[in-house]
Amino acid sequence: MGTDAVVLGAGTAGMVAALRLAAAGASVLVLAEGEGGLPLAPAQIDVLGYRPQLVLDPLGELGGFLESRPDHPYRLVEPDEVGASLEWFLELSAPLGYVGNPHLNRLQPTALGALRPTCLVPQTMAAGDLSGGGSVLVVGLRGFRDFHAPLLAENLALANPPSGAEVRARSVEVSLLGDPRDLRPQLLARRLEERPVLAELGREIRSRLEQEELVGVPAVLGLERSHEAWQRLQDLVGRPVFEIPTPPPSQPGQRLQQHLFRALRRLGGEVRLGARATGYRGVGDRLKSVMVVTAAREVEIPADSFVLATGGIGTGGITASPDGELREEVFGARVSRGGAPDEPLVEYMATQPLDRLGIEVDDQQRPLGAGGEPLFQNLWAAGAALAGAEPWREKSGEGISLATGFRAARLAGEARA
Amino acid sequence: MNALDTDVLVIGGGSTGAGVAWDSALRGLHVTLVDRQDFATGTSGRFHGLLHSGGRYAVKDPGSARECAAENRILRQIAADCLEDTGGLFVSTPEDDLDYADRFLAAARAAGMEIDEVPVGVALRDEPRLNPKIRRAFRVQDGSIDSWKMISALLRGAQAHGATVLPYHKVVRVIRQGDRVEGAVMEDQRTGEEVRVNAGCVVNAAGAWSGQVAQLAGCEVGVRPGKGVMVAINHRLARAVLNRCHLPSDGDIIVPVRTVSVIGTTDHPVADPDDTECSPEEVHQMIEAGELLVPGFKESRALRVWSGSRPLLPKTEGAAGAGDREVSRSHTVLDHGARDGVEGLVTIAGGKFTTLRLMAEDTVDVVLRKLGREAECRTRTEVLPGSESHHFYWIGNRQQEAETDPPDDPLICECELVSQHDLDTVVARRPNWRLDDIRRALRVGMGPCQGGFCAFRVAGMLHQEGRYGRAEANSALREFVQERWKGVKVISWGAQARQTRLDRWIFEGVYDLEHLPE
Repeated sequence: MGTDAVVLGAGTAGMVAALRLAAAGASVLVLAEGEGGLPLAPAQIDVLGYRPQLVLDPLGELGGFLESRPDHPYRLVEPDEVGASLEWFLELSAPLGYVGNPHLNRLQPTALGALRPTCLVPQTMAAGDLSGGGSVLVVGLRGFRDFHAPLLAENLALANPPSGAEVRARSVEVSLLGDPRDLRPQLLARRLEERPVLAELGREIRSRLEQEELVGVPAVLGLERSHEAWQRLQDLVGRPVFEIPTPPPSQPGQRLQQHLFRALRRLGGEVRLGARATGYRGVGDRLKSVMVVTAAREVEIPADSFVLATGGIGTGGITASPDGELREEVFGARVSRGGAPDEPLVEYMATQPLDRLGIEVDDQQRPLGAGGEPLFQNLWAAGAALAGAEPWREKSGEGISLATGFRAARLAGEARA
Repeated sequence: MNALDTDVLVIGGGSTGAGVAWDSALRGLHVTLVDRQDFATGTSGRFHGLLHSGGRYAVKDPGSARECAAENRILRQIAADCLEDTGGLFVSTPEDDLDYADRFLAAARAAGMEIDEVPVGVALRDEPRLNPKIRRAFRVQDGSIDSWKMISALLRGAQAHGATVLPYHKVVRVIRQGDRVEGAVMEDQRTGEEVRVNAGCVVNAAGAWSGQVAQLAGCEVGVRPGKGVMVAINHRLARAVLNRCHLPSDGDIIVPVRTVSVIGTTDHPVADPDDTECSPEEVHQMIEAGELLVPGFKESRALRVWSGSRPLLPKTEGAAGAGDREVSRSHTVLDHGARDGVEGLVTIAGGKFTTLRLMAEDTVDVVLRKLGREAECRTRTEVLPGSESHHFYWIGNRQQEAETDPPDDPLICECELVSQHDLDTVVARRPNWRLDDIRRALRVGMGPCQGGFCAFRVAGMLHQEGRYGRAEANSALREFVQERWKGVKVISWGAQARQTRLDRWIFEGVYDLEHLPE
């Protein structure tokens, strides 16, 4: 049986496009060379956090933001459709308990104790919105290298949410049962799914609680049974517990990835990892197939529609050569710096030459060739592959991926109809 | 103001100053060494890491070649723990004149170097990535130096013999009584407090900065800073140091150091030795040049770029062995009493890392004469702390240690295999560590991630141990990220560009470092 749609890339944008296409009845194949960005990401859904001032209503402020950044990928999607993609995601991710309001950013603590704007979070992080202040007991795990509770708590106590409410924070450090050397996030997550380990942690936290209303823990509360682990810990502690994202690899990111992969399989779609797209065959203005290397063998995969969601330079979708050549790896689509400077700036915290790098598309999200015309009528691009965004500084990455992935699937569906 | 009395005040904590401190201390002098920053932050921590066989100077600067060949042998005996015995090759690439190879061989032998011509096939067997079109190959006694380890060993040795070492103490005034220098006043760069050191003799060992220090005493030293750019590649592209067999020029040497290969270098006169910016053009010049020695060099993963300023000394300063060049890589001890009528001040100028011991010996000989004392130099045979077993380090050292004696504590830096225990041991040595000082001591943040993962860990741990206050931890992290950016910002291609994106994701996306309180 043939494939209706091929999606290149298994990150947020690729999976959203694949899920939407599959839900509309298409047979979908996702091909990805690596695992995509999801297992690295905190799994919070950013829409817009800074423009550069703090954004309170991400959906409402998109228009104003685009006035200052007319080349930003959000220009491609009507705010209503951005909103629709977020509502759809909330529904799709109900099993992970995602919560949030597209018109109201949440302010969640980072692993360093900054209050960071984000829009939707999984249930395990839901209690961590400190927009309205709160007092938090930050719990460190002795020997865990990627979470430093005292520094986090001291920084957090200086946080200044726009509501003017006070944030208080204190830290404690507890030891987990078991081998103190096994404190990598994946192993921690597995151990915290064991009842005795969790029970001991819960008792320990409870005994150290004072007046705090909330308990913040590193985001390692299980992988497959995270909801159960979180619920149980919260019951044991007797206060709302929330996870704080740690640096990669991210357990919440892996949970979301697994959830999206399963959801696609339930809709009859397939995800094939370790599959590197090496070329394509097109006839006239139609893309016919992509060439893919899996298990050291090149195969040709034909389809009716194609979505390019391989990301930018950070994920290998675009490469830069020592001679300064920028190349979108599969189709050779036109690459743009998105208005970033040509030469690096001295200050790290500034817009640097590669920060907005991506491919150029027409208003239908079709990648452009060297001449400025769409490469193919049936190839759409989405997510971090698009030029013009600074997802990490703006806190916009997942929103862009959701909105453009959602729209790419709609455009592909309309073209097929 | 705190004050202390000392026989010798050494200004400059690079290889030269550390060598002078070690030599003086061994000869029974009380020595105080100061540096405006951490030790080995100037030129000594910013070179390619080459332990010279002498080959690079054999034809052009025979005096320097002789010194290098002799000092190379001595360092192997006294400082094995700071050296890797990589060996070296000089190869005639298709662009190099074959007649030069004959002149080179004769000059190397005349300089007392151990040198053997090896068949091209043997060189290619030993170094599979070497350009297969090379036409001649010579094996020499090049090696690589861990400069931070060497300077740390010299200073620990000096301290064990009574020396006082003061990092982050910048000279603000040289105390002069008439035509005599009697010491200097330093400002502690961390506390702002001033310290007065009264000294029988002051040694200006500030290298490329020695002109600036001399000026504080009202003297002129015509040192000419020569900037050299280097690029570290994330692989050992060769086992041995690879040199082009031609008159030394830009980008003609690849040195395997620890986990990387370093290509160097350029030579541009700069007005200010603190000018360490590297332009994209200079970096491209280096990686293009690498192609000639190792085809495919350009496609290797470039990790980091940096530059350092050589303390070049014009012939007018009377450098010995200057030969027919306008500047020499040899050194000169300037006695400002005889030269300028200013007693109590000696400048050690010029020179290079490999000859640090000889430079120190020559300097302390003059110092002793000034002080009217006598003592035999002992540095030819005295083994540095840590080198007692005479084992050279090698690339697998840390892995071997971890496998023989698995640590109980977690690794904080996977790239360079640094454990929490290593960190605790180093920070216990003195107060007030900056993250960049810890990098020099442990190589934390020097691997492929350039601090993306480990900087946060180290800052968090030092805060937890009470060594950093909250604001200090934040600023240490910011400062470290900024410092690392300096070396990767011009590498805008390949795997390192991708890594830079990941690091940015972590610092801005995960931590939101930009919006952390001060």
